[in-house]
Amino acid sequence: MKSELPQYLILRAASLLAPSDQRAEWLAGWQSELWYIPRRGATRFCLGAFQDALWLRRNDPSPVERSGLHLVSPLSCLAFLAALAVAISLIAVRMPGPQLGPRPTHLSARDLPGGSIGMLLLSGLALPAIRLAIGPGANRCPIPWPGRLRRGIFLALKIALLQPILFGGFVVVLPILSVPIANLGSIASWTLAFRWVLIDQQRRCPVCLRLLTEPVRIGSASQTFLEWYGAESTCSRGHGLLHISEMPASYSAKPEWLRLGDSWRSLFGSACPSSDAAGVRQR
Amino acid sequence: MADGPRLSHTSAMILQAVGIGHIYGYTVMEVTGLASGTVYPALRRLERDRLIRSQWERQSIADAALRPARRYYKLTPSGEAAVEASRKRYPLLAKLASKEQVQDV
Repeated sequence: MKSELPQYLILRAASLLAPSDQRAEWLAGWQSELWYIPRRGATRFCLGAFQDALWLRRNDPSPVERSGLHLVSPLSCLAFLAALAVAISLIAVRMPGPQLGPRPTHLSARDLPGGSIGMLLLSGLALPAIRLAIGPGANRCPIPWPGRLRRGIFLALKIALLQPILFGGFVVVLPILSVPIANLGSIASWTLAFRWVLIDQQRRCPVCLRLLTEPVRIGSASQTFLEWYGAESTCSRGHGLLHISEMPASYSAKPEWLRLGDSWRSLFGSACPSSDAAGVRQR
Repeated sequence: MADGPRLSHTSAMILQAVGIGHIYGYTVMEVTGLASGTVYPALRRLERDRLIRSQWERQSIADAALRPARRYYKLTPSGEAAVEASRKRYPLLAKLASKEQVQDV
């Protein structure tokens, strides 16, 4: 049958679940199949598209590569957050503030540090709950204090740079939305932003702090009893592999970091600093 | 593994259907009686596991028949081995009708 409006709308809605770079082909496939379906069962047929799109989304092998943001190195990540913080702060300072009295109050540049510190304190309250919701971090081999310090500084800088972004965003939306909706929106954006900060931290190499790349699928769901299955990501500089189990079992509850020795270095780029130089002992 | 990968009954049925000539998603649905939400994700999973491969038919063929081009599926050599292994495990799979048998009826 030819694609009719209700079926077309169902397929369009389901296509939003498919990864954006595969969406056009996915939709073309379903629309061409729909042409052959008898009218009577067409709607039921189209409803299956949601499951298919969801499967495609869940099995998208490289969300990091497809995100379009090149935040692989820690410096580019911090530079991006800093640029975003400056841009949102400038917009927030130039926007008219909320109508609290007879005249709208304007946010001045002097209010930004205070607001950001307030946000930081509130974030401190929310952070443990979000950390708990995300689940356990990776089992990493012992990292000496310089490596741990570097990771801690990176995490602290990301959290600090998020504060002006969240505060500025709150000030920008406040005149547009009502106060309860703006409050709800700011809580949701905190949660999402901190979830991203923690997940981003977990997906970074503990040695060079670069995002782990090239995820590949290991094992299969039908063999869970015998061995783990899930995804394995690699540090592009050859420092190690991160194993994330798709279904945590008693022996794979936490993601597992497997550090590669220096003998692996020849397989990766020449710009690879050794684990020892970065302060990591071999297991 | 000597017997090839072990498949669920549903996956084995879909693989068997592709193997006997039901090469389009909808024809697999018809012959197996499974819903679209089961068949299409299963076909993707089988393709990911390299038991089948998919291809779009040539646009010129579809244009000549005044219909849209379709994606069709074929077994890979490891898929054929998996079908053989699953027939031993699920003997009733042999009762799935081939495309020619369906047309004869």
